[in-house]
Amino acid sequence: MRFFILLPLLFLIQPSFSQVLTKVTINGYVKDAANGEALIGATVYVKSLGDGAVTNEYGFYSITLAPGQYEISYSYVGFVTQLKIIEVKENLRQDIELAAEAGQLEEVVVTGELEQANAQNTEMSTNKIDIRTILKVPSFFGEADVLRSLQLMPGVSTVGEGASGFNVRGGNVGQNLVLLDEAPVYNTSHLFGFFSVFNPDAVKDVKLYKGAIPSRYGGRLASLLDVRMKEGNSKKFEATGGIGTVFSRLAIEAPIVKDKASFIVAARRSYIDVVARPFTDIFDDGAALNFYDLTLKTNYNINKKNRIYLSGYFGRDVFLFDKRQGFNWGNATTSFRWNHLYSDKLFSNVTMLFSKYDYKLQFGETDLDKFTWNSSIKNFILKPEFTWFLNSQNEVTFGGEAIYYTFEPANAVGVTNGVTSDISVPQRYNLEMSAFMGNNQRITDALSVDYGLRFSHFRYLGPGESYVFNDTVPGLRRTLKETTTYERGETIASYSNLQPRASFKWQVTPVNSIKGSYNRMVQYLHLISNTTASNPLDVWTPTTNNIKPELADQFTLGYFSDIGAKRMWEASVEVYYRQTQNQIDYIDGADLLINKLIEGVLLGGKGRAYGAEFYLQKKTGRLNGWVSYTLAKTELKVNGINHFEWYPTRFDQRHNLKVAAFYDLSKRWSVSGNFILTTGTPTTFPTSRYVVQNILIPLNAFDSRNNVRIPAYHRLDISFKLEGRETKKGKPRKNHDYWMFSVYNVYGRKNPFSIYFSQKDERVPMGLSPDSQATQLAIVGTVIPSISYNFKF
Amino acid sequence: MKFTLPFIFLIALLMSCETIINPELEKTEPVLVVDAWLNSQPKSQNIKLMQTQPYFDNGLPPGVSSATVSVKNETDSRIFIFNEEATTGNYSWTPSSATDSLGKTGDVFTLTITSGSDTYTANSVLGRVPSIDSITFTFEPASGFLPDYYYAEFWANEPIGSGDAYWIKAWRNDTLLAKPSEMNIAYDAGFTESGNIDGVTFIAPIRQGISPFDTDDDGQLISPYKVGDSVYVEIHSLSKAAFNFLFEVQIQTDRPGGFAELFAAPLANVHTNITNTNPSGKKAVGFFNIGMISRNGKRLIE
Repeated sequence: MRFFILLPLLFLIQPSFSQVLTKVTINGYVKDAANGEALIGATVYVKSLGDGAVTNEYGFYSITLAPGQYEISYSYVGFVTQLKIIEVKENLRQDIELAAEAGQLEEVVVTGELEQANAQNTEMSTNKIDIRTILKVPSFFGEADVLRSLQLMPGVSTVGEGASGFNVRGGNVGQNLVLLDEAPVYNTSHLFGFFSVFNPDAVKDVKLYKGAIPSRYGGRLASLLDVRMKEGNSKKFEATGGIGTVFSRLAIEAPIVKDKASFIVAARRSYIDVVARPFTDIFDDGAALNFYDLTLKTNYNINKKNRIYLSGYFGRDVFLFDKRQGFNWGNATTSFRWNHLYSDKLFSNVTMLFSKYDYKLQFGETDLDKFTWNSSIKNFILKPEFTWFLNSQNEVTFGGEAIYYTFEPANAVGVTNGVTSDISVPQRYNLEMSAFMGNNQRITDALSVDYGLRFSHFRYLGPGESYVFNDTVPGLRRTLKETTTYERGETIASYSNLQPRASFKWQVTPVNSIKGSYNRMVQYLHLISNTTASNPLDVWTPTTNNIKPELADQFTLGYFSDIGAKRMWEASVEVYYRQTQNQIDYIDGADLLINKLIEGVLLGGKGRAYGAEFYLQKKTGRLNGWVSYTLAKTELKVNGINHFEWYPTRFDQRHNLKVAAFYDLSKRWSVSGNFILTTGTPTTFPTSRYVVQNILIPLNAFDSRNNVRIPAYHRLDISFKLEGRETKKGKPRKNHDYWMFSVYNVYGRKNPFSIYFSQKDERVPMGLSPDSQATQLAIVGTVIPSISYNFKF
Repeated sequence: MKFTLPFIFLIALLMSCETIINPELEKTEPVLVVDAWLNSQPKSQNIKLMQTQPYFDNGLPPGVSSATVSVKNETDSRIFIFNEEATTGNYSWTPSSATDSLGKTGDVFTLTITSGSDTYTANSVLGRVPSIDSITFTFEPASGFLPDYYYAEFWANEPIGSGDAYWIKAWRNDTLLAKPSEMNIAYDAGFTESGNIDGVTFIAPIRQGISPFDTDDDGQLISPYKVGDSVYVEIHSLSKAAFNFLFEVQIQTDRPGGFAELFAAPLANVHTNITNTNPSGKKAVGFFNIGMISRNGKRLIE
């Protein structure tokens, strides 16, 4: 099979001459002493070598060195560093548990020797957000939210509240690969775009890659959001939860066998319908308005070489007008993972998973007249990945991925006056197979590089129909020329792509470094939307004989600096340029839903996005936080739109400024605030109006798209946190609880979401013309205060 | 989408906010507007030629005079000259007898307009319409946010054979229901060509689309029909191109605002079938369609 074609290339890596001396390996897992959770990205540093390693997503590290005595430090932000003096004679397994830092007041904490920190991260263009930060950031309706916290990072933006998804460096919301414990998530929001599907009680680690995406990942152009959930406290029973303005939450985790196996069950449900029920009768008829998610995970350390993980996620949004009518949608994933150590130097993880995103609509008050529409995307994924800690200069990764997709764009049935019509659109089947290989190589003390290659192959398979369309003036609907039917297993179209990836880090001084990268990314699934904001009904369409794979080439270059005697400040400047091909847009008046000939209304073009991101963070102290500013531009050029000239995308925001600040007022009170300013969201304005058959129709006489910018968006949020008392009647309390008092949109700005043009809503007498007006809409136009109570015991 | 209307009632969050604004718009030259919706009735037919106005200019659009307007029935080769009336921009043709009309089902027509130095043409086909078998009123007792109300629906069976399209117009007590949200178009018996429902009774939302859902100043629903009201329905046939035009018009003009904006398409021009014989000449907007009409009416009595 194709995966193994690249394996022989491994032999091209030349071992260094020092390989001649016998080297030994120290490896193991770094975990949180309180609950046994693996610590992702913990630093393992060997001072005398000036070298070290970083733990992977499973908390595993491996270092190769000559036998001898070494002082090794294990550290992780927010935890007490452990120093171990180890005599290494032969391969050694060293598992470590780190204890969290105590104390509320964040005094200046020594994060370690300067050189140690340099061992971290060849990575650039990444933002890692600590779950504790996510819980502190003032939130919408008091609900801590992963995606909202992500919005505070440079290069990340959104078109407004209520828009699902997020934009990274000028990419659209469908160009982000969102993985929840390795499983792809197609719709990351609840309630259209107001809340994310990630339950903060169950989240352990969140990392956003905006560029320099390692070769083990592929499938989307703009970014990778890697969300890792907790595995479950393997030391003792723990319950976490809370009641907020929107959700009530409960997570229970406990060991099954202490230090060997554990589980976590985390559930979250909105409860506005429960609370409103006694006060109104709108829910009596079967009406429902709720959204929930459930995470179930269990893991088992079989022995020192094997661990298995089983996880499931299920989330749903339910809107029912009565028991027969409404819509609901959600993601569901089940995955099984197996970590295996083939040797002290070869770590592997094999993932097998099933994921499904679907939505259902139903309308009709009786069985004689009704309409039902189901749509879904199902994936079966097998992903074996290997990390070979070859020697102290090279860490090689290789592996593959096979994804089988089933798309059901519309399984739709209409019944009218008792007669049934099936208007379903045929299903589509696809297979995507990839193989990758990469090496993270330390060339000298100052220069490290990470390079790799990903090869992907995509097939559009039968059974199904393929369509060929007649050419027409670009911008008009293309009519069907011929249909070809295929049997099961036949290949309708196939594409292969090589994706080179490379990045470097040059440590100019112990506190300053320059990093750069080049990525080629390929995307075979496309999110097609013709609405102002992305919403749950947007169509995911696979590549076909008409829709080509999207390609992107991204270059980044940045300067990173740690400032201050104790490295209290971190500053960076990063510039990026991404050019994309086969970007999908749609003709004016496109009919995207339940349309089997959707390819006839789509247009392909190219895009470019570029910008500069500035970031300054104060990491420690009673007052800490960060400022991020992005100056960016993103535009498309499509034949059939805007006279085949470059035009801005809907999410092209020129200036994007975010300030997040946290201050400890006292032992129990702390305050946090954030300020966001974005300018320049584009929209299309008309120039003229005309009346046809008593209807007022707007006209843009220049036929341009996104010719105007709506007014700027800015917002301030503040929240106060009150920690519960630590002792009760002299004894320490088991329950660690806290209250959050938040105010979202403190000065109540009616931030514009869109400006729309319409005729006045009144009945116009015959012979007169309708009056025209323009309306500026704010999705959130007021101050929103909220309270939440959160506990942990 | 029409479906979002009941949803908006349910999500009664007071968060969102709308302000009427008066932004400055780019200036441009006026463009010729052709409003040519004809029918095969033995009655006077009217075509309006106007100019576009700047978007915020309310008031009647300026008419275009001294144009020559004619329609040719390509199937039987008859030519109909439309003469300018006293009102600027109105051009009409009157049949010569009680049985004279533009043509019959299946006939193909061409419209030709010469205004100034430009000549424009457009085509249309006269499609068929089903008869309206009946109109019924239904009473809905109060529930949830809604008071007692009556709604009307028309019953008609769409003829078998896909490719027909219709515009259903309704009058309540002699007032045409012409709000953008009340535009009621059908492709065969359903909403669009892609979800094709053909040869059956029109689907419920289209049948009930003759009932207006207005709200009073407090946001309470006003019953579409009260005892004593009458409803009068006409089904006009549309060419496929005219259906696509009205489908796009609906997207651009039906803007309920509020949360529905999350689902709204951005502003875009609607297509036209009026083309300048000189491809690089001035463009025109508007549409030419000719259709058959079937009609029915009913009064709501106790």
